[in-house]
Amino acid sequence: MSNQYIIQPDLNFIDEVVGLGGDTLKKCFQCATCSVACPIAPENSPFPRKEMIAASWGLKDKLVGSADIWLCHECGDCTALCPRGAKPGATLSAIRSYAISEYSGSVPVIGKLAKMVTDPKKLALLTAIPAAWLALMAFITMFMGGTMEKIFHVIGLHWYHVTEAPIAQARFISTWLVDMTFVPVFNISLLIFAYTLYKMISDMHANAVAEGKTSKETLDYKEYFKTIPVVLKKVLKHTQFNECGENKNRGTAHMMVLFGFIGCLIVTTIGFFFLYALGKPGPYSQWWPFKWLGNISGIAIVFGAILMIKERLSKSDLSAYKDWYLLGLVLILGATGLLTQMARLAGMEFATYAIYYIHLIAVFHLFAYLPFSKLAHSVYRLAAMTYAEYANRK
Amino acid sequence: MSNKFGVYICKGCGIGESIDCDQLVNVASEKHAPAVIHDCLCSADGVATIKKGVAEGINFISIVGCSKRVNSDIFQFDGCMLDRVAMRENVAWTISREKYPKKTENDDEYFVDNVQLAADDYIRMSLARLEKVKLPEPFILPSISKKILVIGGGMTGMSAAIDAAKVGYEVTIVEKTGALGGYAAKMRKQMPVGEPYDSLIPPMVAEKIKEVQAEKNITVRTNTVVARIAGQPGEFTVTLKDPSVQIEFDVPFPLPDSMKVDENGKEYDAEKLLELYKEFNKGKNDVLTLDPNGELFGAVILAAGWRPDVIEGDAFKHLGVGDADVVTNAQFEEIAAKGKIVRPSDGKEAKNVVFIQSPSNGDDRDFNYAGSVTSMVALKQAKYVREDYEDGKAYIIYQHMRTPGLTEGFYKNMQQDNGVFLTKGEVTSVEKKGSSLLVSAKNTLLGESIGIKADMVVLAAGMVPVTADDPVVNMAYRQGPAFRDNGIFDQYADSNFICFPYETQRTGIYAAGCVRRSMTIEESMEDATGAALKAVQCIDSVNRGVAVHPRSGDMTFPDFFFQRCTQCKRCTQECPFGALDDDEKGTPKPNPTRCRRCGTCMGACPERIIGFADYNIDSIGSMVKSIWVPSEDDYYNAPMRILCLYCENDAMPALEMAAMKKSQIDPQVRFIPVRCLGSVNTIWIKDALAQGMDGVFLLGCKHGDDYQCHFVKGSELANVRMSKIGDALASLALETERVAQFEAAIDDYDKIPGMINAFVEKVVAMGPNPFKGF
Repeated sequence: MSNQYIIQPDLNFIDEVVGLGGDTLKKCFQCATCSVACPIAPENSPFPRKEMIAASWGLKDKLVGSADIWLCHECGDCTALCPRGAKPGATLSAIRSYAISEYSGSVPVIGKLAKMVTDPKKLALLTAIPAAWLALMAFITMFMGGTMEKIFHVIGLHWYHVTEAPIAQARFISTWLVDMTFVPVFNISLLIFAYTLYKMISDMHANAVAEGKTSKETLDYKEYFKTIPVVLKKVLKHTQFNECGENKNRGTAHMMVLFGFIGCLIVTTIGFFFLYALGKPGPYSQWWPFKWLGNISGIAIVFGAILMIKERLSKSDLSAYKDWYLLGLVLILGATGLLTQMARLAGMEFATYAIYYIHLIAVFHLFAYLPFSKLAHSVYRLAAMTYAEYANRK
Repeated sequence: MSNKFGVYICKGCGIGESIDCDQLVNVASEKHAPAVIHDCLCSADGVATIKKGVAEGINFISIVGCSKRVNSDIFQFDGCMLDRVAMRENVAWTISREKYPKKTENDDEYFVDNVQLAADDYIRMSLARLEKVKLPEPFILPSISKKILVIGGGMTGMSAAIDAAKVGYEVTIVEKTGALGGYAAKMRKQMPVGEPYDSLIPPMVAEKIKEVQAEKNITVRTNTVVARIAGQPGEFTVTLKDPSVQIEFDVPFPLPDSMKVDENGKEYDAEKLLELYKEFNKGKNDVLTLDPNGELFGAVILAAGWRPDVIEGDAFKHLGVGDADVVTNAQFEEIAAKGKIVRPSDGKEAKNVVFIQSPSNGDDRDFNYAGSVTSMVALKQAKYVREDYEDGKAYIIYQHMRTPGLTEGFYKNMQQDNGVFLTKGEVTSVEKKGSSLLVSAKNTLLGESIGIKADMVVLAAGMVPVTADDPVVNMAYRQGPAFRDNGIFDQYADSNFICFPYETQRTGIYAAGCVRRSMTIEESMEDATGAALKAVQCIDSVNRGVAVHPRSGDMTFPDFFFQRCTQCKRCTQECPFGALDDDEKGTPKPNPTRCRRCGTCMGACPERIIGFADYNIDSIGSMVKSIWVPSEDDYYNAPMRILCLYCENDAMPALEMAAMKKSQIDPQVRFIPVRCLGSVNTIWIKDALAQGMDGVFLLGCKHGDDYQCHFVKGSELANVRMSKIGDALASLALETERVAQFEAAIDDYDKIPGMINAFVEKVVAMGPNPFKGF
């Protein structure tokens, strides 16, 4: 038989998916209620029934490179209706987590982080690294007065990052040092994504061809990238989330967080422009419109995160470490961002710097561990949805 | 003692409103039977009224009211013959006064009061019957053995023996092999037997053996088989023997069909057949010769179990049959019981094992005799692979995965193992690839054709009941040593699976465990209890001289008037339970405790010499004759009379359910219940037509392979006899359509009135019986 698929179960893969929150996957008895219940599964070769058997048979190669696992938004309709309590939603989520580790773990040297990010025991270490580094930066800023300015003066640049304001974050850790930390970290993350996405997109295509889920024979990257705007529109509108029957509120909460982050990204970019182009360092007046945007975004992130945490708590068995890690991080990011500002306006110097320190550690988590954590879904899901749109998956 | 008649008429449940009960008293008085009318006979006062009559010497009582199926506990009068007239069901509820009004002052003498005519007839029929029946006396064996013989020393046999011994019966277990235990003694582990049904347990067989050995009421005979079981329940004379020897009391076998005909295919005459039969069974004593050294038993429990099916031949070639590493589940169990799972071909570790549940020969059938047990065995054996090897992988490819009832818990738990992989699928081939095997399957849940590399392949061989190979019970019965027609049960020892578990087609012999259907050890042990209780019931019933089942407690038994027997052998051959053994001349020898009192012999006998004390040719014949058949002399438009003989087992409750729902039935029909359609003698039909009745129909159980007849063959035999009566009718220039037989199940209450009324319409359309009035 020419197109025979040779079964090679990977028992470790099953163990890992079980450990990542898929502990119920072996309960599945293949009734396909989930595939019928899923509001977003395509008609041709719908999920997640086939993913459930592939997972319980340990067929890693069928899952990791599949775009379908990313099309799922874990709305929970399938889990609610599953007659065996196999929780297909949680299983797919665990498989995605495995896929993130698998792709990001394949990056040379730094790939080791993949395992650490999904391991709760490594959380302290992963936090200690930025904590130590940022403590060093604070030490340099506070006790080695204007180090960076001095260095710049040597090469003829007269940049100032410290304002006249009595309390400013830059007095605690120089903006120079912050940017010199995070700009490279963020860019390395982008490079990792570029590296893994290349692999992933070709894997997705190969998988789709093998399982007859695509209208395209060869992968045309130009066409593929042209599809992104269509998908982005869907993502921003949360079209897929809104089809969900079981956890309707998650769509709103997710939207708040997503738009909150986008808002913060815009504000940060404007801040960059002010600082480096206009030479005008913060803190800025609360009357400035982009400050409004920043505050609204911060509030949106906090509220969105709280809503999602509340919802997950009400279904405590639905969530694994990877979920709590991400939600905790988002909440801390938003909360410390807002609190730093509040403490500063209240004139509480120590509190301002202490909270800011935590905020920066959180930002480090966000940027440095992005390609390895659940947050990577923002990139992988977009890539998969784009592929599905491009390949006419219906 | 002369019989004194008494008629008690109940006016309750709508009878009084619909029927003129004073008129019924007049009808009874025609027969010189005193009649009493009561408002509610089943009340304390009503029963007291009857008891008063009994005290005054009335012993043949006609209770006119409800069916004999209800209030049977209330209307019990010792030493009295009862006839219950179902006036409520057959008249008051099914012939409505709205449609058939009472006679009014304006009506002339030719007015037809259909309701009253029916009621009058039923009184006449009851009294006619009472005149022709006798009080039954039980058949008591001169001496009775209360010992129970258990055939088979496996889990079922041992459990049955323990259960029977514990309630005080002496039990002998005969075991063909040298040791107790059966298949259960060959297992590594067994399926769970109780909540939560989730994991394998160590075999329970060793404990069971100890329990048997500790029980003083149990005798164990190993290396022993049954040579023959002669006689009847309560006095079975059993010859036991060493399986390896031939003895004169080995049971004779009937002539195979191929030996009954000459080279031209013509059947030999009776004399020649007897000669050939004797030649065929040379050295063996006839069934009627009792072994003087035989051991006496009261009842037999057949727990002979099963053997693993052999999977061979071209049909299974694609499964790699013949390769040393392709084994059956039974062979796999043997390997597992010895130690770690290793390949038969080279003794290497077998870490990848594929369990194939269905041969996939173009359909989704499983292997023969496979079912839920083999499904669970596959799960069990998959677990062995996982127990032995941490990286072991067990695949089960099935068409059906059956884990009924609470064993679902077992399925769930086995499925939880990371290394157990289940899929529905069609196995297309098993091929040798180097030192391992490649199993290919299509239409799997994985959505494509798959290939699995395996060290070993295990085929789910079914559990063949041993009765497929051998009679085992070796009954010295004229009908043969084995159960008849077991082919329709795939050779399982069974008679009517749904209604009567444990009961075989031979009274006093009860099957339990895997000889009856494939079972787990848990099911077998429970089944054993049922069969043990049945055996106890049998011995107890025989001891009191009453029937065991389905007519439990029936004291009557067939009585033969031998002077007029023509030795036609029909009764011996047609008895569904082999109760009769004829001698060389063909004279039947009745074995009353084998009998189930269905009356099939009575229906068969052309000389009409067989009858029961309260049910015989004359009693029913007289009822038929007592029905008044009006003619043109009586009315301008004389109503027709159609006789219905209906089965008491299913048709009667169905009809009565219809009556409860007030379904309307044509008033021209008269109903007479019979024990079984098999007991219907065609003379009754001839009598009915001869006296001018316009049609006759039988209403009984479904027959054929999926029969529902409580007496296995009754409705089928009735059907054969009815087809023959058709010729007789034709010779009398009567339309054969005037006689019919209908099948009804117990839940057909909504269809039966329609069936009956349609038949009546057909007969009405044919016009009256030309013999009317002669």
